[in-house]
Amino acid sequence: MRFRLEWLASYLSGEVPDAALLREKLTSAGFIVESVEGSGAAAILDVEVTPNRPDAMCHRGLAREAAVSLERAFQDAGAGPLAEGATPADQLATVTIAEPLLCSRYSARVIEGLAMRPSAGVEHQRLEALELAVISGPVDATNHVLWDIGQPLHAFDLDKLAKGDDGRAAIVVRRARQGEKLVTLDGVERELTNEHLVIADAEKAVALAGVMGGLPTAISETTTRVLLESAHFDPGAVRRTSRFLGMHTDASHRFERGCDPAATVQGLDRAARLIVRDCGGTVAKGVIDAVARTAEPRRLTLRFERVARFLGMEVPLERCLQILRALGLTCDEAGGLIRVTVPTARVDLVQEVDLIEEIIRHVGYDALPETLPATYVSPHLDPALAREERVRDILAGTGFFETSTYSFVSQKENAPFESVAPGAPMSLQNPLGEPFEVLRATPVLGLLKTATHNIRRGTADLALFEVGRAFGRDTSGPLETRRAGILLHGARTHHFSEPPGAADFYDGSGAVAAVFQGLGAEPPRFAAADLPFLAKGRAARILSAEGKDAGWVGVLVSTLGAEYDLGDAVVADVDLMAIEPLPIPTSIEAPSRFPGSDIDLTVTHRTSVPYRTLHDSVVRGGPPELLSVTATSRYQGEKVPEGFVKTTLHLRFGSPERSLSREEVNAWRDAAAARLLALTETRVDGYEGAPL
Amino acid sequence: MSVPDVQALHVRWLGKKQGLVTALLARLKDVPKDEKAAFGAGVNALKREVEERLAELELAARRNDDAAAEARKAVDVTLPPRPVPVGRLHPLTVVRRRIEDAFRRLGYDVADGPEVETDWYNFGALNFPPDHPARDSFDTFFIKDGGTGDDKLLLRTHTSPVQIRTMLSRKPPIRIVIPGRVFRKDEIDPRHSPVFHQVEGLLVDEGITFAHLKGTLASFASTFFGGRAEVRLAPTFFPFVEPGVDVAVSCVFCKKAGCRICSHSGWIEIMGAGMVHPNVLAAGGIDPERYSGFAFGMGIDRIVMLVHGVPDLRLLFENDVRFLDRRWA
Repeated sequence: MRFRLEWLASYLSGEVPDAALLREKLTSAGFIVESVEGSGAAAILDVEVTPNRPDAMCHRGLAREAAVSLERAFQDAGAGPLAEGATPADQLATVTIAEPLLCSRYSARVIEGLAMRPSAGVEHQRLEALELAVISGPVDATNHVLWDIGQPLHAFDLDKLAKGDDGRAAIVVRRARQGEKLVTLDGVERELTNEHLVIADAEKAVALAGVMGGLPTAISETTTRVLLESAHFDPGAVRRTSRFLGMHTDASHRFERGCDPAATVQGLDRAARLIVRDCGGTVAKGVIDAVARTAEPRRLTLRFERVARFLGMEVPLERCLQILRALGLTCDEAGGLIRVTVPTARVDLVQEVDLIEEIIRHVGYDALPETLPATYVSPHLDPALAREERVRDILAGTGFFETSTYSFVSQKENAPFESVAPGAPMSLQNPLGEPFEVLRATPVLGLLKTATHNIRRGTADLALFEVGRAFGRDTSGPLETRRAGILLHGARTHHFSEPPGAADFYDGSGAVAAVFQGLGAEPPRFAAADLPFLAKGRAARILSAEGKDAGWVGVLVSTLGAEYDLGDAVVADVDLMAIEPLPIPTSIEAPSRFPGSDIDLTVTHRTSVPYRTLHDSVVRGGPPELLSVTATSRYQGEKVPEGFVKTTLHLRFGSPERSLSREEVNAWRDAAAARLLALTETRVDGYEGAPL
Repeated sequence: MSVPDVQALHVRWLGKKQGLVTALLARLKDVPKDEKAAFGAGVNALKREVEERLAELELAARRNDDAAAEARKAVDVTLPPRPVPVGRLHPLTVVRRRIEDAFRRLGYDVADGPEVETDWYNFGALNFPPDHPARDSFDTFFIKDGGTGDDKLLLRTHTSPVQIRTMLSRKPPIRIVIPGRVFRKDEIDPRHSPVFHQVEGLLVDEGITFAHLKGTLASFASTFFGGRAEVRLAPTFFPFVEPGVDVAVSCVFCKKAGCRICSHSGWIEIMGAGMVHPNVLAAGGIDPERYSGFAFGMGIDRIVMLVHGVPDLRLLFENDVRFLDRRWA
């Protein structure tokens, strides 16, 4: 927001202040001066005024802050005398507020006998300096008043306003009729709804309240009679209109943030005086003043002891009072209670703490000491966050690069993965664009795009992960789950000593198993699955030991791979909260001192029989001494019938208490072989069985 | 001399049939009686001598053979090592953890909450009235068919809703930091992203003062940046705190002399902060007459850019592995 130094200085005692000094002072009081253009009295300060300070969005208001900061006296000469003619204004126009909740006050003056000329004098220079068009006396005067004291005004051509039955121009503040149309000053025809507050004459809407006037009733070169509007509108009403119509004006900016409800007549008088000075004419007698609600200054009580208790620092009572009074607040102190009357312009001062801020703002934050609170809270570890952090460390420690990708993706990207989302797709009402319209079903979506990017930049061997949320919704509302997305592409490692091996399904399931192991859970199980985005036969559901669905892993289906310009990509998505870590053991046994016994069983079985079936049939019914079962080799080819495969199972037996005898191990081995042979169409090397 | 050579020597000198020393011993019977003892002692001494010499020779020969075998197994140690896969944490994680750790040392717990929030948690409870311009700087993504009013669903624009959720679920004293992903409808450019990350902090207790806030942030800055950082507060406005301040710390990289990192100002603006607004405490079910508190919030992405000189925010979301594979810690 632009401010002219000379204009600010007109409200300060003494010389025009140094722009650099004022810049420093205003900035430390919370009004950041972003730049200073030009020099001397004509310098322009570009100031960031926060939305809670509409009172400082004008020269008089900011000068009040400058006066306190510079320790100068604040002075306001006011409008000066305004000569009025004999004709009473209320014989020329009437004002009715039909929406008293949306407009607390509407004040109007009429000026007759004008000859249109642009503004002159310092006001002309000021408007140009603020890059405002200099148009005609009445319009320039309203702009000047807005930037001077913050009161937005509007000037109607009185003769263009439709008159009521009594022959007077009839101003009504009302809601627009549904579908009512108005061409605004910018030449655009606006279609309004009942939500919008308008100024109407006896027939039609003539202005959007607090936003912009209408073109048909605007001042023109031939205008001789003007009705000046100076009103106070409800911030919400103005905001609804300006947002709905996409119009942001100097007036709406102030009304939305809150104007001084008591400044309407001041604004009229200042404008009328300028108009008559520049365009001649006579101000009709009196103000047509419709008051729906009188603005009472707010009264607050500041407990002086609260200042030190809140700041952690003593500020002498006299200093507190001095600052508050310099800001224009009336203060009476007795027995440690400061009774404060807040000027109506200060819409931001509503509570005791707001007054404490005024004090520390002008004392300066540099004066605050630095202390540490003695608060003690017994520590609490969020298990979900701890789990996420652990998974990041596990995956980064096993060779994966952590990524950070957007939470929203395109509808098209998301669609193939909808079946594994936490719920139905959840879209944005106002996305940045088509590529970002739906919240992702899985973080793997971001990894796929990341892979594409890296491959195009020349890195095709990739191991990526992201720990983040997947989204969906059901009738209960939005659903979010904590996931680890994993992607492998190209070779897992490269070394001159061995041929490169592309990452395959087992690298994916291995990474998933590492996550389970790292979290202290039983190893996951993998169940063959049919998922639309994974290659058939290389896709699995991840199941926790208790059988809970914990995500999926597999090779990306080639059609999707082609869309992302990928070769065989191994992808996985783990639902972190579905993993069930075991309690940390409280009694760890020493490893057995007795040697164990290892044996192999080689089974020929149909390829359609999963390894898991062999494994489970060996384990179930096995003795407590059976410590582990794993697969050590797979063979298909010579001497193995078509459709069959030879799997070698490695069994380890052991006991913490004794050495195992050859006889008992052999018996266990025979029993395990028998269980394997009991499966359909199996043979075990070294054992009798039906021919395959 | 190889091991077989030594074995041949052994046969020649000590062989049971034709060994030279063995032959001498065989002649003992021909030695006159009174010389027998001296002769025998002489031959035994010789035998010991030969045995020792042969043992030495054999040891040397064995060493020699081993060395030859080893030489055949020698490698070029300068060839690249076989890679053991080692990944990396994302810089956003690394820096977030550094921020969290600095606060953990001060006793803060870490908390989080949902990314899809309601209007009330994101705005209403945080003292943003409906239709208020203060919402303008929080350009918000709304969920399609996401309801209306307080329950209207949106993507959280800050992690502050977790402050409310925590206040509603725990009694004071409360002392938490809240890291998390947040969303604002900003176009994607080198300095803006519709997805970014924050760490917020909240402390609520009896007798909490503005000076506590300043001291806490100074302590954080010193831990995080190293060295003794000064804190400078400047008044600003956030609806959920009163007073609200912008927080700058003295540039520890140039000791306030001015450098690239601080844009030659000597100060680095790192966060917003303030005393929790009484309306926010009340919304969190906490009596503002009895308790006070402070809150602060910083952008992790911005701090990554700042401390690592990352020129473009988009690099953090592009995930080029050549970028990720840098020393972030």
